[in-house]
Amino acid sequence: MAAWDLSVTVEELGPEAPPFKVSVTSDLHIGGVILKIVEKTQIKKDWSDHALWWEQKKQWLLRPSWTLEKYQIHADARLSLTRQHMPLRIGLPNQTVLRVQACFSRPVFQTVMGVCHLLNIRHPEELSLLRPVEEKKKKKDKEAEEEVVYDLTALQVSSGSVQTLTSGMPVHFADSAQTEAVYKLLSVSLPAPAAEAITRMPRPSGLVDKARVHSRWLDSSQSLLQQGVQAHDKLLLRFKYYCCHDLDPKTDAVRLTQLYEQARWAILLEDVDCTEEEMMLFAALQYHIGKVSLSEPQPMTSCPTMDDLESALQCLEETMTIAPELQDYLKIFRPKRLSLKSYKQFWFTFNNTSISYFKSKEESLQGPIQQMNLKGCEVAPDVSVAAQKFCIRLLIPGAEGMNEVYLRCDNGLQYSRWMAACRLASRGKTLSDSSFSSEVQNIQSFLAMQQCTPGDDTAQTDKSINTHSLVSPRYHRKYKAEQLAPRILEAYQKVSQLPLTDAVLKFLQIWQALPGFGVSYFVVRFKGCRKDEVLGVTNNRLIRVDLRTGDVMKTWRYNTMRLWNVNWEIQQMSIEFNDNVNIAFSCVTATCKIVHEYIGGYIFMATRTREPTEELNQELFFKLTGGHGDAL
Amino acid sequence: MDSLIKKTAKMDDIDAMFSDLLGEMDMLTQSLGPEMTSNSKRENHFSIGFTDFNESLNELEDQDLDALMADLGSDSAESEGRQQTAVTNYVQTQQQASSQSSAPPHVQAPISLSKMSSLTCSSTSLPPEPPKPLLPGEAEAKSKADKIKLALEKLKEAKVKKLVVKVMLSDGSSKTLMVDERQTVRDVLENLVEKTHCDSSCVDWSLCETNPELQTEREFEDHEYLVEPLSAWTRDSENKVIFLLKPEKYLIFKEPQIFYLWKKDKRFLSEIKDSQKELLLKENFERPSVIVPDLEGQLYLREDGKKTWKRRYFLLRASGIYYVPKGKTKTSRDLACFIQFDKVNIYTTSDYKQKYKAPTDFCFILKHPQIQKESQYIRFLCCDDEHTLSLWVHSIRVAKYGATMYKNYQAAVRRASTFSSTLHLTSRPAPGPTPTTPSTVQRAAGKANGHVPQVCDDVLEQPPDFIPPPPPVCNFGI
Repeated sequence: MAAWDLSVTVEELGPEAPPFKVSVTSDLHIGGVILKIVEKTQIKKDWSDHALWWEQKKQWLLRPSWTLEKYQIHADARLSLTRQHMPLRIGLPNQTVLRVQACFSRPVFQTVMGVCHLLNIRHPEELSLLRPVEEKKKKKDKEAEEEVVYDLTALQVSSGSVQTLTSGMPVHFADSAQTEAVYKLLSVSLPAPAAEAITRMPRPSGLVDKARVHSRWLDSSQSLLQQGVQAHDKLLLRFKYYCCHDLDPKTDAVRLTQLYEQARWAILLEDVDCTEEEMMLFAALQYHIGKVSLSEPQPMTSCPTMDDLESALQCLEETMTIAPELQDYLKIFRPKRLSLKSYKQFWFTFNNTSISYFKSKEESLQGPIQQMNLKGCEVAPDVSVAAQKFCIRLLIPGAEGMNEVYLRCDNGLQYSRWMAACRLASRGKTLSDSSFSSEVQNIQSFLAMQQCTPGDDTAQTDKSINTHSLVSPRYHRKYKAEQLAPRILEAYQKVSQLPLTDAVLKFLQIWQALPGFGVSYFVVRFKGCRKDEVLGVTNNRLIRVDLRTGDVMKTWRYNTMRLWNVNWEIQQMSIEFNDNVNIAFSCVTATCKIVHEYIGGYIFMATRTREPTEELNQELFFKLTGGHGDAL
Repeated sequence: MDSLIKKTAKMDDIDAMFSDLLGEMDMLTQSLGPEMTSNSKRENHFSIGFTDFNESLNELEDQDLDALMADLGSDSAESEGRQQTAVTNYVQTQQQASSQSSAPPHVQAPISLSKMSSLTCSSTSLPPEPPKPLLPGEAEAKSKADKIKLALEKLKEAKVKKLVVKVMLSDGSSKTLMVDERQTVRDVLENLVEKTHCDSSCVDWSLCETNPELQTEREFEDHEYLVEPLSAWTRDSENKVIFLLKPEKYLIFKEPQIFYLWKKDKRFLSEIKDSQKELLLKENFERPSVIVPDLEGQLYLREDGKKTWKRRYFLLRASGIYYVPKGKTKTSRDLACFIQFDKVNIYTTSDYKQKYKAPTDFCFILKHPQIQKESQYIRFLCCDDEHTLSLWVHSIRVAKYGATMYKNYQAAVRRASTFSSTLHLTSRPAPGPTPTTPSTVQRAAGKANGHVPQVCDDVLEQPPDFIPPPPPVCNFGI
């Protein structure tokens, strides 16, 4: 067979170096070609990660036993010998950027698996890579200077199951103090961002904007290099399929934290709509999570029976020690119809879950004027730090209705103590409860929030916090920071007792229960229709949405789906459901492949079982989401 | 570490202290009253508690008392003894009432008990005991833990509140029961099912509270502690507890499509297959967060004070009921909150057309359980028809109780099926999700997966039957 010259560029020699010419015959296999090149370069190094990349065809030549002929490579082909694993910048849901070694030659699905393995995120099939929004050039330069990148390229991780230390940290992060710090960054939720940072981030302004995001997903069945991603480029790692399988807070520290961060940003950037009450609860949870993560950086894993005993003992202790006394002169006001009575001063004492008041301190030995049991009552603040008004509004349930009572305190400290006591009493707890002092502190820090001057948008520290960094920009415009504080505090009552993990899970639960949760939108054009419409893809159904009003017009569930088909030529998807229901649409904002992969991906997610030993069925994933001849 | 060693050295002292403490607690048991209701005037917050025990016994009719005594006699001797002390305690409580605010002085133990718990697990030098392969020290720690638990139980026992409850049966007769505050509605239901020899394979048995003054009714949820809602009754209350079959109690789990696909027409809903129902249950209740039916529509609201009913557009969300303010759209951010469910319960009503001039008799109210009489703090809503009322009432229960309600249902189904299988009382299968997977599901998934998945015991996450064939491979690149 005739020999001919094949030109190959070698990455190691630099981009300027002229391509090598190696003399080959068409029956030479790829392995032989690589060997020839390596010999010719005379560079001694480990070449095992290198492979041949065919520039014009955008194709990796990964089968060493295939011949040049079989790959249909001729003298005009320009090949390059490059590494398969190269550094890639990855933006995580919590906005940190890591530099990791990523595989550029395998399908993105496997690249993601590799990255998740390194970061100890289980179920990598739920995540994927997203191209970042292209920013204007000037901004980009500025941004590049600012961006902090944590380098993890040196981490060596074994291919088997990840070994973890008792703290839950994978062994490979224990190499240095620096990598340990990075692990902490990944597994503990970050402090609330500065309010300005939230305003600066792009927010979707409508359905079309929301749809546009999904045009940036990478194709899972093609490699990074095939999709034009270069070494050192930045991609975003995000949870793509909203069905978190088998979430276990013990082993899923990073996964849970990143999921929480993604949810938090989705709320802050109004990616998913919620009501004002829900927003306040999200804010309260964020505040709580931020606070608890600062005080307990590592979730404690003590044996449960000891915990039981501990709490039981605490209970016992409380019943046996005498409750700390709380008594003072306060002013009371009971609004009644057609009366404008003002505040009157009395001597107040707190007993168990009840407040009693007397004419004066001296008369407190005699019977009280009234006693009010606060169990089950509603407690709300009525506070203005600027006006030095510290009132507690109580709605005490009784057979006849709710009794409205206002207590007025003289100063913030007195207020915090009485407020804390009222809060505990409404939950049926007494002053001796261990949470009393932390409750007092919480109230004080909320008071501090009201004092902070506008414009002072510093990020959350343990003491002060700007309430604007806990809510979406819509509420920045609607309320001043100090107006938000009492509302967040009100919601905070419901969650202040939750341990860290429970608070994170609660946040996710409320997020997942929102009506707009987990819908990925695409602008499509249905066959036979003239105008653009929106297709929503969720974990169990497809919905047809009116582009302007956002109303759901039709729902098709996957379980009634019989088959689906893609016509790649005209970029049209057609789906057949039971009872001869057929739909067909072409995609406007994203490629057909992305929509098809999304639907196939959700169907794949539903095939997973809860068996712990179950291995990821990659073949099925590619079968359901691929659909190209050149997939593998 | 140092401090730990020091503490272990003190173990003996602590041991001694502990037996002291146990003794003291026995005394406490005698002296501590139940909820110490003050003598001061508190007309509004009356609690029928332990202090009313004698009174409630006196009020009983003779045959009820006989039945109750027989009932108590059938309990263990120990618990009978407990009742006795309970009755005598009443007197002692009264005596102590004047000095009730301070516990007996010897209780002020100088050592923090929570510190002791960390001690109990750090002791070292005991030989392991034979029955369990315990580590050295663990045995001692365990026996200590047991002692502590015993002490705690004794202490708790002294404070347990008990009520004598007369339950009306659907045939007009009644049963009188002793209920203590640790008993859930489910416990009481089982007790009643057993006593009345009714069909135990049914999950629909309910306890309902009726309030004749407000003309309301509420079925207690299985996980509630029965004593709690009953304690809100006023002294002269005419409220009743009724034991009856409520076919709608768990309708939302038996026929989830009625609630989750409420927009579809009725004919479609009646033809729905069991497998689809199971899928709905799985999607809405077996995921990390419970999904509340997305109800929305026009309801009548009784306006405060005005005594008129006004139509508004309401929406149900997991976080509460919302309405669309004038001139606004249905988007989440525009919604105004009508009520959240943390502090209120939902009650169905009767004859509100007459009582409150409601547009229809299909009304429900939301109120704090303490409220027993008409008040501006009660929210009144009125639906167009019975079906809409049912949708709202049960969907609101799901929003309020979430996963707990589903667990109640599952527990009820389990209990009912064990009853029917062990007692051979009935051949009717338990309603709800059957624990076997349809074979077609298995086959379909088996094919696609390349392996036949094993059936896990509780079939929480079964493979779906909807893997449609993927699109054919095609050689166009993108």
